[in-house]
Amino acid sequence: MNTRKLTKASYMVSGVVLLVVAVEVIARLGIAGTAWPSLVEVYEFLGDERQRSTLWRNTLVTLESSATGLVMGTIIAVLAGAVSALVPILRPGLDRFAAIVNAVPLVALAPLFITTVGREDSPAVVAAMGVGFVVFVSTTSGLANASRTHHDVLTVLGANRFRRFARLQLPQALPSIVDGLVLAAPTAVLGATIGEWFGAPSGLGMMIVSAFQSANIPQLWAVALSATAMALIAYFIFIAVQRATVRRFT
Amino acid sequence: MGLSPVISASSSTSAPDTRGADLHAGYSGSSDSHRLDPSPLRVSLTDVQKTFDVGRGRTVQALVDIDLDIAEGEFVALIGPSGCGKSTVLRLLAGLDTTSSGEVELFGSPPEELSRQHRLGVAFQEHALLPWASVSSNISLPYKVAGRSVDKNRVAELIKLVGLTGFEKALPKQLSGGMRQRVAIARALVLNPSLLLLDEPFGALDAVTRRRMNSELARIWSEERLTTLLVTHDVDEALILADRVVVMSGRPGKIHHVEKVDLPRPRDTSVTRTPAFHELVDKLTGMLDGAGEDS
Repeated sequence: MNTRKLTKASYMVSGVVLLVVAVEVIARLGIAGTAWPSLVEVYEFLGDERQRSTLWRNTLVTLESSATGLVMGTIIAVLAGAVSALVPILRPGLDRFAAIVNAVPLVALAPLFITTVGREDSPAVVAAMGVGFVVFVSTTSGLANASRTHHDVLTVLGANRFRRFARLQLPQALPSIVDGLVLAAPTAVLGATIGEWFGAPSGLGMMIVSAFQSANIPQLWAVALSATAMALIAYFIFIAVQRATVRRFT
Repeated sequence: MGLSPVISASSSTSAPDTRGADLHAGYSGSSDSHRLDPSPLRVSLTDVQKTFDVGRGRTVQALVDIDLDIAEGEFVALIGPSGCGKSTVLRLLAGLDTTSSGEVELFGSPPEELSRQHRLGVAFQEHALLPWASVSSNISLPYKVAGRSVDKNRVAELIKLVGLTGFEKALPKQLSGGMRQRVAIARALVLNPSLLLLDEPFGALDAVTRRRMNSELARIWSEERLTTLLVTHDVDEALILADRVVVMSGRPGKIHHVEKVDLPRPRDTSVTRTPAFHELVDKLTGMLDGAGEDS
């Protein structure tokens, strides 16, 4: 049993090592051009105390924007999903509105937010946009998940639509809403980073732009690794929440 | 002879049977009618037709000329081959479906009115318990749905009545199939409904559990004495529980026969092993076999 676990772990470790070595070899040989990062250089970049603290400070800024966007987007999406469940006549309109807003590229919306909500807050708003659509779709589909028999029982018991929503539809929808959050959490990091491209005073997005302009490849990839790590951590946190929710609500 | 005065199936021209007349308070007792007095104290389907639209302008006649009365405090079982429309009758009484023509009245009101007043209880073959809620919160659900404060004593009483003491905090997934059905029945009973509707509540259980649930339901019913309609395809189950057994035939669904069950209660093995019981089982089973061919 332990041997099998060990085998699995060794496969994982060798996969990672292989990937790192391949990246480094391609960088040293210059096969893919000068923009290809050398991980050793990225590591050296991060070894610098000053660079590291700058990266950490900006990571925290992006983390805050992502978290704010995730919370805002989720609240708005769940409320919109609730409205579409409680007022069925609004449902097709809300569905289409969500689809249209989602189809507009975030990159195109970002300048709009800078002029409306300002440079400081637009990363969170762009993050909320990305989150909102995913969570809205998972909420509306979750709210429709209760079985016909469950609905029949509540109808016979004389439930009005609000009690039906609170007692049956919402708890039934929770696993599906959390499924949406699993997808939305990395989206929030991506959205916040994109939001920071357009003149935000700080954040990983801002650092990417400045690294890009000064052709500082190690900085660019240090930032990219930081953003990736944040998105992955958020993903795994919500995977854990999802497991717990499924255990409790199904 | 088998037809009680409470029922008139369109196809039958039964002689009034005065034997049954003194059984229920709602009976007219007169010999010139085979229907009950128009009384607000009963459940009635009058001249009910139900047609389902199956698309492309085609329709299927599900129920024809259904006339059925249930007196207050009476237990009626509806049996018939699958697809005969017996569940549709129950759904009409539950207000989950509407008639194409004809009247459905529950104690003088339309079914929707009773469910609005939280006076209906229902249990289906699928238990439809809330998976995230414990046994006691599942049984408390009707209070919450009605916006009333939960009567903890009543909930505890029902948990005891259905024999689940000690399982109050258990989740449905931790219970056996039979136990889940007991919770579903307790939930149906908790508000003391004016009409209890049971749609094959034991249909998914194994034979042994099913018989045990039958005798438990008989015991529960003898304590609560609710007006009840049970839909089933199990002849024994119908005869163990019901005051009257209504046999339906299919395609289109109509009432084929009504059997008054005069066997003494409780109908435990001392009754179910008698020749009288077996005779009734054979008679009704024979009708079910014939009913598919539409007599």
